[in-house]
Amino acid sequence: MQKSLHSLIKKDFQMMISGKFFLLALGSLLLYTLFINFGYVNFMRMPGYGIYLYVPPEESFPEQLREKVVVVQSEQEIYECLSKDTNGVGILYSESATKYILYYGSDTLDNHRIAYAQSMLEGKRFETPIVVGKNTDEMKQRKEMSCELLFIEIVAVGFLGIASILFKEKQMGVMRVYGIMPAPKALFIISKLIVFLVSDLVFAALLTLLNVKYPDATHILPRVLLQTGILSLIMVLVGMGCSLLINDFKQFSLAYLVVALFISAPVFFSANTSVQNNWILWHPFYHLYMGMKNAFFDFPSEGIAYFLLCFGGIFLLFVLVKAAFIQEFSKEG
Amino acid sequence: MDGIIYQLKSVRKDKMCIMSFFLPVVLAIFLTVMGGIDLSSLEEADFAICQRYFSPEDIEWLSKYGAVHTYETDEELIAAVNDPATNILGVQKTGNYIKVLISGDELEIFKEIAASLPVIYEQRMDTSNLKIEVLPQPNFISNYKYVFIAIILIIAMFMGCVFNAMNMVSEKEEGIIFINEILPMTKRQYIFQKIFIGFIFGCLSSILTVCFSLRLSLRYILLIMLLIVLSAFISALVGMMIGKWADGILIGIAYIKVAMIIFIAVPLVSYLLNLGKTTIGKLCYLVPSTATFEGIMAMINDNTMEAVKSIIIMIFQCIIWLLIFLAIEQKKSYRD
Repeated sequence: MQKSLHSLIKKDFQMMISGKFFLLALGSLLLYTLFINFGYVNFMRMPGYGIYLYVPPEESFPEQLREKVVVVQSEQEIYECLSKDTNGVGILYSESATKYILYYGSDTLDNHRIAYAQSMLEGKRFETPIVVGKNTDEMKQRKEMSCELLFIEIVAVGFLGIASILFKEKQMGVMRVYGIMPAPKALFIISKLIVFLVSDLVFAALLTLLNVKYPDATHILPRVLLQTGILSLIMVLVGMGCSLLINDFKQFSLAYLVVALFISAPVFFSANTSVQNNWILWHPFYHLYMGMKNAFFDFPSEGIAYFLLCFGGIFLLFVLVKAAFIQEFSKEG
Repeated sequence: MDGIIYQLKSVRKDKMCIMSFFLPVVLAIFLTVMGGIDLSSLEEADFAICQRYFSPEDIEWLSKYGAVHTYETDEELIAAVNDPATNILGVQKTGNYIKVLISGDELEIFKEIAASLPVIYEQRMDTSNLKIEVLPQPNFISNYKYVFIAIILIIAMFMGCVFNAMNMVSEKEEGIIFINEILPMTKRQYIFQKIFIGFIFGCLSSILTVCFSLRLSLRYILLIMLLIVLSAFISALVGMMIGKWADGILIGIAYIKVAMIIFIAVPLVSYLLNLGKTTIGKLCYLVPSTATFEGIMAMINDNTMEAVKSIIIMIFQCIIWLLIFLAIEQKKSYRD
C-alpha cells in the first residue's frame, strides 16, 4: 500500500510539472511579491492635512506657529495649494474674522478639519495617542495584502489546478487504469491531496517569508500554515468534486468564475471595510478567511469548535468525493 | 460569411463564453440595484467609546467628527481598535479630559485625527459663527462612485479578449487547429472570422452594460459607441495574440489573468493617484484601456473635448496594435 501511494504521488507530481502548474505558481508568487513590495506599500499612503496660512500685510499675527503650518504669500496661493492637496485647509487670517477654506469632503470630516486648523492656528500642542496594537501601518498593509493574495491563490488557483489535472487524466483514460488497479480507491484521492497540500504549504511559506518582514514572519508562520492546510484541503476536495461532476473543462471554468467572484467578493468586502452584514456569518468562506487573517495578525485563535467544524467538513467532503470517484470508475467501466 | 456562421455555432455550444459575456451585465445590474459603492465615504473617522463614561452631550460632540460606536467594556473597545479591517479610534474619558487609543497601524491621517482630538475637546468652541468657505468637491473625488461602473465597462469591452483566447486555446487542445490548416480558407479570412466573433460579442456585452448602468445624455451615444467599437476591436486582437501564444488551457488562463490585471489596474491606479498629466500618466496611455477609462469618465463629466481626445488615442492604438499583430503574423509565416 505504501508503495502504491508512493508511486501515485510521483505520478501526480509529474502531471503537475507537465501541466506547468508549478511554473504558474512561481509566476504568481513573483507577481504578488513585486506588487506588495513595490506597489501596494508605496501607494497606500494618506498623509495628514496640510494647513496653508496667509496673513495679510495689514494684520499682525502675534502667536507662535506650529511647524506644520505652511505660510503662503498671497490669497491666491492658498487656492493653488488646496487644489494640489484637496484634504488640506486654507486659513485667511484676520484678527476679527479668520476665514477657513476647504474642499468639501464629508460633513464630519469637514468639521474636524476646521477644528484642527483652528487649534493649529492657536499653536496648541497635540498629545501622542496611546498605542495599543502591535503592528505599524506598513506591517499591517503587508500582512493584509499577503493574506488576501494567499486566500485568492488557494481558492482560485488551487481549485483550477486540480481540475486541469483531473480533466487531463479523464482525457488520457487514466481513470480506467485506476479502476483496475489493485490499490484502495481512497489512495487516488489521498495522493492528490498530499501533492497539492505540500505545494500550497510551500507557496504559503514563501509568500509569507518574502512579504511579511523577518521576525514577524517566522512568528506567525506555524498558524498561517495550519490555516493554509485547512483551506487547501477543502479547496482541492471541492475542486475534485466539481471536476468529477462536470463534463468538460470549459464548463468547469464557469464554476471557477462563480467561485472566484461570487464567493470571495462579499468575503473581502465585509472583512476589509467596516460595512458589516449579519448574513456573512453564514458564509463558510468568511470564517476561513477570518481564520487566515487572525493567523496573519496573530489574534487569538478561533477555538476548538472552528477546527472541529473544519475537520468535520473536510471528512464529509472526502467521503462525498470518494463516492463520486467510485461512480466515475463504474461509468468508465 | 459561412465561416462566421460556423464560428457562431461553436460559440452557442460554449457555455463559458456565453456566461462570460453576461457576467459584466449581471455585475452592472447588481451595482445599479445596490445603489453603487461610494468610495469617497470610506475615509470618514470612526470612534469607539465605552458608553458609561460619556454623557449624551459628549457623544453628540464626538459624532460631529465621525461615526460613534459604543461598547460595554474596555476590552471590547481595545479589540475594536485593534481590528485590522477598520480604522476605529478608541476614545476614553477621565475626569474632564479625553485620551485616544490607536492600534498604531492606522494611516497617517487617522493618527493625526487621534492626536488632535483631546485638544479639540478641551476647546469645544462654538464653530457655528466661523467664516468658512467650502469649495465644491473636485471632479476626481466626486466621480469615485463612477469608478466601479467604468471598471465593469472595461471588463465588458475587453471580454472579447477572453473569448478569443479561450476559443483558440481550446481549438488547439482539441486538435481543430490542424483541421483549420487544411481548410480552403486563407489566413486572412481565418483571422477576420476570429476577430469578428470576439469583437461582436464584446460590443454586445458592453452595450448591454452601458444600458443598465450609465445615464448618459443623448449626444454621447455616438461617442460611446465609437469607444466601445474601438475597445472591443483591440481586445479581440489581444485575445488572438494570447490564443496564439498559449499552448494549454491553464497557461491561457494565466495569460488572460495577467492581461486583465493590467487592463484594469493601470487606468485605475492612474486615476486614483491623479497621474493624468505627469509623464507616468502619459505612459499609462500605452495600455489601451486607459484611454477607454478616461473616455468614459469624460462622458460622465460632460467633457466632450476629453472624450474626443480619448477616441483619437484609441484610433491610434487600434492601428498600432493591428500593425504589431500583422508583423508577428508575417514573421511567423516566413518561418513556416
